[in-house]
Amino acid sequence: MIVLALESSCDDTCAAVLGADGHVRSNVISSQGVHDRFGGVVPEIASRQHMELANLIVAQALNEAGVRIDEIGLVAATQGPGLVGALLVGLSTAKALAAGRELPFAPVDHLQGHVAANFLASDGSEEEFEPPFLCLIASGGHTLLVHVREREGFEVLGRTLDDAAGEAFDKGARMLGLGYPGGAALERLAAGGDPEAFPFPGSRSERSRGGRGTARQAFARSLDFSFAGLKTALLYRLRECSEAEVLARRGDLAASYQAAIVDSLIARAERAIELTGLERLAVGGGVAANGELRRRLGELDAEVHIPPRVLCTDNAAMIASAARFARAWPYPEYLTLDAYATGEEPSSAQTTGRGRSEHPLESGR
Amino acid sequence: MIVLGFDTATPATAVGLRLADGSTLQARDDPGSDEHPGHATRLLAMTHELLGGAGLRFGDLDRIAVGLGPGTFTGLRVGVATARGLAQSLGIELAGVSSLRALAEGAMRSELDGSHVLAVLDARRGEAFLAAYELTDRGSVEELVAPCALAPEKLGSVAQRGGEWRAVGDGAVRFRSQLEAAGVAVPPDCSPLHLLSGETICDLGARAEAVASSYEAVVPDYRRRPDAEIALERK
Ligand SMILES: [Zn+2]
Repeated sequence: MIVLALESSCDDTCAAVLGADGHVRSNVISSQGVHDRFGGVVPEIASRQHMELANLIVAQALNEAGVRIDEIGLVAATQGPGLVGALLVGLSTAKALAAGRELPFAPVDHLQGHVAANFLASDGSEEEFEPPFLCLIASGGHTLLVHVREREGFEVLGRTLDDAAGEAFDKGARMLGLGYPGGAALERLAAGGDPEAFPFPGSRSERSRGGRGTARQAFARSLDFSFAGLKTALLYRLRECSEAEVLARRGDLAASYQAAIVDSLIARAERAIELTGLERLAVGGGVAANGELRRRLGELDAEVHIPPRVLCTDNAAMIASAARFARAWPYPEYLTLDAYATGEEPSSAQTTGRGRSEHPLESGR
Repeated sequence: MIVLGFDTATPATAVGLRLADGSTLQARDDPGSDEHPGHATRLLAMTHELLGGAGLRFGDLDRIAVGLGPGTFTGLRVGVATARGLAQSLGIELAGVSSLRALAEGAMRSELDGSHVLAVLDARRGEAFLAAYELTDRGSVEELVAPCALAPEKLGSVAQRGGEWRAVGDGAVRFRSQLEAAGVAVPPDCSPLHLLSGETICDLGARAEAVASSYEAVVPDYRRRPDAEIALERK
């Protein structure tokens, strides 16, 4: 069955077609460059851009795949989590595309999409990665470590308690005067610096000097992430230094800051491998493009699978991949589906009513 | 020509299905003041029910018509995205119509004595979206004031020329005192004249120019720039 999928949870307007054999026939991504001058994604502007592009991107995805709309057997779209206004453009478009032809529809969780990117065999050159495995998802919006037992669903082992890893990269880059988004610029600056010059919170060099009390040690043992303290530490460090000193040591600051983020991700991944005994790790999210992270992942005592960059960052091929293994809703059951901002996928009972534009954050774990 | 028309510019979801014989079936969802709009959850489901009631399916439609606003941003996008998605899926014509004109024409049609109508929608943040229309002797409806966002105290000034004005829409209800102070009549709060109807969207949509591809040409009429853009310029 040929799958058409849309993704619009943040600032990328994406559509993809997956062949009946699960191969990516097309994977169109339009990244909105319009947010840079605002120093972050502006939800209303993102939603307007999705509105401009949605149908064009769908047409292009069909065209590149050499598929007519009447050959599509299943339509899918990201239902959440993400910016609700942005999600609703893709979800409304996709539901309507499916409804017009009375096709089944699969609502997909964005994080499940990042996991499912690993099920895709990219252009035949790479083998797909099959569960069970651990998956580290790190992007500008999410940072979590999950246990994937089957091709549908996952168990969250740890997640960020504050900022996402990609957000930490961007905020650090801005503090170092590198503009927005600055993750890649920070990585370039870090290349010439000493990663152990500044023992930032979360880094190996900090941990080797002994934590700061039991609360900190208990946190280090959990699989949750925290990057807010790191950001504050960089801010204080920049305030302490003279302008000349900052200028002279920008490379060291960037390298140490990056090392703290990467160390923190690697330490949790290592611990999860230890706890589960599962020596298979997959990766998803834009932070997977970071060279230092990739290098350190390669040193892990595990089989590591990193999808190509285009499948790590937000895209619709991963949504289509997840849709292949998700429950497809028959027409007309899905017509009442709503988008959700955060938390777990709402139950079907919750989707038919109105008045719930936001989900409470998942409690407990 | 079978036309499906809907509007999501206000918290209401209004759907109309104009059949080949010119008659129109309608459905609507008006959320209570403490409820969220049902655009995302109700629009397609109501449409499915209307079609079923007429013994039709999506594949029988000839044209989709959609209210472009101005109105609530997210509501407009759900409406336009749904309309475009249906048109693209079916490969049929798509026509966008002004929600304010639809509101005014709906009122003119059911009110014989109202030749000058202000269509006023609540634009939030203490403003209203407004446009002014006149029913001419030839029976056509002329736009005297193009859609704009206005402060409530300026609403009445639009109604200076012409004869007797009346104002309809949820904005007319909300800003009744300002409008009445300027001599503009506002029907009782519960009057159906304040509601955008799917039937008018269908009628306007059947007459409007439509696109049969390039569906992206049909865009929401926001009439307001994003706050972030305005804030950035003021810096
Ligand atoms: Zn993502």
